[in-house]
Amino acid sequence: MKIILKTALASMLMLFSTMGTFAEPLTYALKVDGLACPFCTFGIEKQLGKINGVDKLSTDLDSGVVLMTMKNGVLLDKTKAEQAVEQAGFTLRGFDKIKTPSPKTNEK
Amino acid sequence: MRIRHSFLLLFAVAMVFLSQNIVAWGAPITFNTALPVAKDEFLIRQQFILGQSGKDFTAAERDVSTQSVVSILAYGINSDLALFAALPYVNKTLKLTMNSARLTRSTRGFGDMTFFGRYTIYKNNFKGGNFRIAPFAGIKMPTGNSRNRDSFGQLPASLQPGSGSWDPLGGIVMTYQTLSMQVDTQISYKANMTANGFEAGDVSRMDSSLQYRLWPKSLSGGVPGFLYGVLEMNLIHQGKNKINAVKDLNSGGTRLFLVPGIQYVTRRWIAEISVQLPIIQDMNGTGLENDYIARTGFRFNF
Repeated sequence: MKIILKTALASMLMLFSTMGTFAEPLTYALKVDGLACPFCTFGIEKQLGKINGVDKLSTDLDSGVVLMTMKNGVLLDKTKAEQAVEQAGFTLRGFDKIKTPSPKTNEK
Repeated sequence: MRIRHSFLLLFAVAMVFLSQNIVAWGAPITFNTALPVAKDEFLIRQQFILGQSGKDFTAAERDVSTQSVVSILAYGINSDLALFAALPYVNKTLKLTMNSARLTRSTRGFGDMTFFGRYTIYKNNFKGGNFRIAPFAGIKMPTGNSRNRDSFGQLPASLQPGSGSWDPLGGIVMTYQTLSMQVDTQISYKANMTANGFEAGDVSRMDSSLQYRLWPKSLSGGVPGFLYGVLEMNLIHQGKNKINAVKDLNSGGTRLFLVPGIQYVTRRWIAEISVQLPIIQDMNGTGLENDYIARTGFRFNF
């Protein structure tokens, strides 16, 4: 009986832990080469916005970084981000996950 | 005639429709070949152009004024290949003295549509800037009327909205862009063909544009609007026209324009204004010189 209770408790803890992981959206920092003007920014955000699961995009032109916040539980595939940046005419130089809710989170 | 009007109507309707999904880009004001277009994206540009030529020292005292509205539509097949279409609507007026009487002849209508494609053969993206080289080629189609008449008879070829001929064109454009400035240079050639017994001289030109960010002076995060000071240069050489295969010695020549202007660029719209001032005009015979060409335009993002 004790074993069953311990197992159930451990399972619940694991479940809550997982829920916590997916409850908080992930944000990625994309370092983009070639960005040099406001209209370029609009173009690249339009291409990145086509990726499924994107919740919010914001760009810092000076540093050439686009922040992509994904919807809850959605991970960003680096290859898809790279393709979107290429289609806008630019080059992906860096791809970093900047918000990590839990050490157990796995990234694609 | 009906086919041409249907085609132009279709183009106008398509532009209104496509303006719902437009991405605007920055570029030179006096030439369109440097407009960058991303994959699956449309770009629309509208320009209003006023031209004046009135320094005629012959007895005819010719004075030519033109008002044009030019619509440019671009589509990105992929990040390297883009297609462009430009359609002008023109209103031209010629005043001249003949037999001591001052005459006015004018015409208006859609001009010739130009189609061209551009392929980026070299691209170097770096942090805060890029460098691109792209050749382009296309054709000017005879969509404008080239046989307009008034009460004095058929209008001269230079006054017609269209040329009546299919004219191939090509060239190469280079762009260097950073966060503080952009430089574009193009070299192009247009071979004018014969129509209605008239052949305009071929046009070769070299254009350069410098766009320098005046405001904000420094960037402090986000995406602010940019105010560019623009300085462009147009070196244009046109060969002599031919009328029934005979060269018109009073046509063609070389002109150099200096073009100061201003461009304001935001994420959603762009506004621009410039004036082409003639610095050098070496026209053949009694060829008419330009006084100025003023243009303003806008672009929108949707």
